[in-house]
Amino acid sequence: MIEATNLAKRYGATVAVGGVSFTVEPGLVTGFLGPNGAGKSTTMRMIVGLDKPTAGTATVNGKKYADHRDPLHQVGALLDAKAVHTSRSAYNHLLALAATANIPTSRVNEVIDMTGLAAVAKKKAGGFSLGMGQRLGIASALLGDPQTLILDEPVNGLDPEGVLWVRNLAKHLAGQGKTVFLSSHLMSEMALTADRLIVIGRGQIIADAPIAEILAGTQQAKVRVRTPEVTKLSQLMGNNGVRVECHENETLEVTGLDSRQIAAAALENRVLVYELTPLTTSLEEAYFNLTKDSVEYHSQEFSDDASAPAAVKEYQG
Amino acid sequence: MSTTKSSAPAHIAGGSLTFMGALRSEWIKFRSLRSTQLLLAFTFVAVVGVAAFAAWVRGMFVEGMMALGGAAGPTGPDTPPTGQTTMTMDQAIASANEQGLNVYGTPIAGLQLGILVLGALAVIFMASEFGTGMIRSTMTAVPKRLPVFFAKAIVLAVVSYVLTLAAAIVSFFVSMPLLNIYGIKLSLGMDGVLSSILLGGVYVAGVAVIGLSLGTLIRSAAGGVVVLVALFFLLEIATSLLSLIPGDFWKYVGQYVPSVAGGRMLEIGDKAAFISPLSGGLIFLAWIVVITVPAAISLKTRDI
Repeated sequence: MIEATNLAKRYGATVAVGGVSFTVEPGLVTGFLGPNGAGKSTTMRMIVGLDKPTAGTATVNGKKYADHRDPLHQVGALLDAKAVHTSRSAYNHLLALAATANIPTSRVNEVIDMTGLAAVAKKKAGGFSLGMGQRLGIASALLGDPQTLILDEPVNGLDPEGVLWVRNLAKHLAGQGKTVFLSSHLMSEMALTADRLIVIGRGQIIADAPIAEILAGTQQAKVRVRTPEVTKLSQLMGNNGVRVECHENETLEVTGLDSRQIAAAALENRVLVYELTPLTTSLEEAYFNLTKDSVEYHSQEFSDDASAPAAVKEYQG
Repeated sequence: MSTTKSSAPAHIAGGSLTFMGALRSEWIKFRSLRSTQLLLAFTFVAVVGVAAFAAWVRGMFVEGMMALGGAAGPTGPDTPPTGQTTMTMDQAIASANEQGLNVYGTPIAGLQLGILVLGALAVIFMASEFGTGMIRSTMTAVPKRLPVFFAKAIVLAVVSYVLTLAAAIVSFFVSMPLLNIYGIKLSLGMDGVLSSILLGGVYVAGVAVIGLSLGTLIRSAAGGVVVLVALFFLLEIATSLLSLIPGDFWKYVGQYVPSVAGGRMLEIGDKAAFISPLSGGLIFLAWIVVITVPAAISLKTRDI
């Protein structure tokens, strides 16, 4: 279990994490979701004590991480796939980490096999691809058979098979009653892996709930209605709490009524309706709606006109 | 990797963080880099080589002095004796010592090279962890942080001492026959020869601990090595200029820089207007403390 209480980190005037409180429960996969620069990595670094909080506390299983006598057995952390010495072999890297807690060499070989690194274990870690680096990071995290697993962007750079493996591993460990906390900026990945979501933006918690609830909460249950009598139907439905939008001919998007209520109203007033489609918000949209105000680095929209390719040509010429 | 195997072994022996564990971890890190192994082998050979060369030069110098008398300067063995003011062997050796060519110090003649290489290696031992990002793995495994610093210091001090001692012993046995060619006898029983062989490694170990502290404070290999070279080579040159200023005070200032104070520790007997070997050792120890304490505080309190 991870508990953060008013956890904050400031660098001068810049607020990286602005006093967040949350609990990551055992037995569940908790996703930590947010755009780049939202404060995910800083929060995770504070949990394992690499960064000192400006204010607030973070505890793991009731104690500050550094106060545990068996840190590697408490928390397995992958915070950065590049947290290895580039000239050392993967095997020696793991051996050195294992030595701190007197973890036997047999366990080093075990995590190497588990993460599929056997073929490259004796090679220098500096030559690893991003995906191989991630596997090595996950292998390091698993060394001490930790009660709590903290993985920062674990699927970054992994091939589809690796992504599936991480997903299954996270669920498997949560199934054993362990605490699994993984961050991502990819909503789709979280949708498949996490049971619970903590959404962070600009250093603040935006949402903290089971994944289904987050979806439902942001879901403006809309219904698309196609009818030749747009005006009449709009007037019939346009009372308190119901929003009706009309974007194209003979088509309405209704918020606040379900399909059955719309059909009943139409039948009562003899209005022809030839389509009724419930529109569900995807998790991706829900996420976008949650974080659209808190994206730190907005990318510029690509313009569709011809000038963009021309500019590229000019640059290349 | 396609299937999820159980990550829970029947049981993992140990699991608790201990200082011995941290020490073993740092030793594995130290020995598992090919570049370190090669550098240490090269340093050993080079230190012995420098000592052999020094034995040859010093032997020639003493022989020349005996032949020429006070006329100074080494000359070839074929120079005919002039017959006037020739020196005895003891006088010639004393004269060589005054010229900075300490005949009995030959076994540790390569010490400066050892200081430079092992000091730089110590800087890199910590700075490269910051440079590569390894430090985040290290400090997650040892979140109390300071055991890492002390474990690294012990590994570096022991390696430096053992390497310097071994090189000094080999240097002794290489330079003994070389000096013998010129009729100079060198034995362990002589004036401080044994103590210089035993203490040379202490000095290099101290420099390595200072190097580790600089790497910890500055977190950059290049920056740390520059400061190390400034402390152990440039400062001595700069303060030797101060001794040109009239007055005894300025002559003493130069003896307090780490390289001179550390060097005094290894020398034999007192010289006029110089601090004693014991004081030299204590001043050097003070330098270690003054640099190590801020480094340890910095490692404990700064973000990784």
